[in-house]
Amino acid sequence: MSSEQDFTTNLIASLYKIAEEKVIAKGEFLIREGEVERNLYFIETGAVRAFYLSEFDEQTIRLGYAGSFINSLASFIKGTPSEFYIEAIRKTRIKSITRESFLSIVNENEESRQQYIRLLELLVTQLIDREIDLLTFSPVERLNRVLQRSPHLFQQIPLKYIASYLRMKPETLSRIRNS
Amino acid sequence: MKTEANKLIEDLLQMTESSGNAARKFKQLEIDQLNFKRSNEEWSILECIEHLNLYGDFYLPEIEKRILESNKKEKSLIFRSGILGNYFANLMKVENGKITKMKAPKDKNPANSKLSVTTIDRFLKQQEMLKSLLVQAKNTDLVKTKTAISLTKFIRLRLGDTFRFLIYHTERHIFQAQRVLQ
Repeated sequence: MSSEQDFTTNLIASLYKIAEEKVIAKGEFLIREGEVERNLYFIETGAVRAFYLSEFDEQTIRLGYAGSFINSLASFIKGTPSEFYIEAIRKTRIKSITRESFLSIVNENEESRQQYIRLLELLVTQLIDREIDLLTFSPVERLNRVLQRSPHLFQQIPLKYIASYLRMKPETLSRIRNS
Repeated sequence: MKTEANKLIEDLLQMTESSGNAARKFKQLEIDQLNFKRSNEEWSILECIEHLNLYGDFYLPEIEKRILESNKKEKSLIFRSGILGNYFANLMKVENGKITKMKAPKDKNPANSKLSVTTIDRFLKQQEMLKSLLVQAKNTDLVKTKTAISLTKFIRLRLGDTFRFLIYHTERHIFQAQRVLQ
């Protein structure tokens, strides 16, 4: 097992000891723009989306489903107001831990700190992948890239949010999938 | 209607500011209050706001485009309304605490769409964009710069009238929204 997986496994184990469990109804928010993110969430069941609200639409920037961690990351790290909303798109059961508890897991010993660094490195490469997604001109290619990373996306998330994540109209996504 | 161009912009900026303040107050209400309808035919607070967002979706990009294209060298200091522009703008105006009832065009009717508190947040972002366009318009000729309107392709209005129409229209529906819970 790679060391970032070790860390994640540890983190989940600790979560089950100390985390607070919450059920969020469809349409409710884990966090809204302007609030400061104090928690990290682990999704047990259900699905959420993080989106950026512009003058004209809601742009889905990240999707979370059973087994994923999610929060408004920049706000969580810097303590600045969140630029994003995170909304439950189905009834969702989460475990949440505070930044303080999270950091105490990270700083438990030298090994966990090293594992955390591996996890951050993995996260950086994932963000670069996402950046390339957004720069990819062809809608078909954009979809293929995402399906390679998350083959079960369509089983978890309604099509309209996947379309927004891929920066295309729902009609375009349907057409591509069916061809 | 005839007035100093910069005076008009300042008045419109002030009205936009107070519409924004009214919308920020709505954010303190519970979601059930925001969705409350007095009858099936009347709009909830969020429906009033979403109606304004649908207008913003059309007018803000249109106004921005025309300002960017406009010739910045000539600019008249006096704004004079066009006949139609003045008519449309005044039609929207709240007069003595009263508004004339009207039917919204189908594509601008928000009834029964999915609305949440992000509806208000989106409105506030649009109001910020509108303020920045008003400030840019201080260097733009409000008569010679023309914009399309959402109702028909056959008419174009003077930028000054388009701003008046849009901002009076906003004031009108904020006024309507404030009466939903009374």
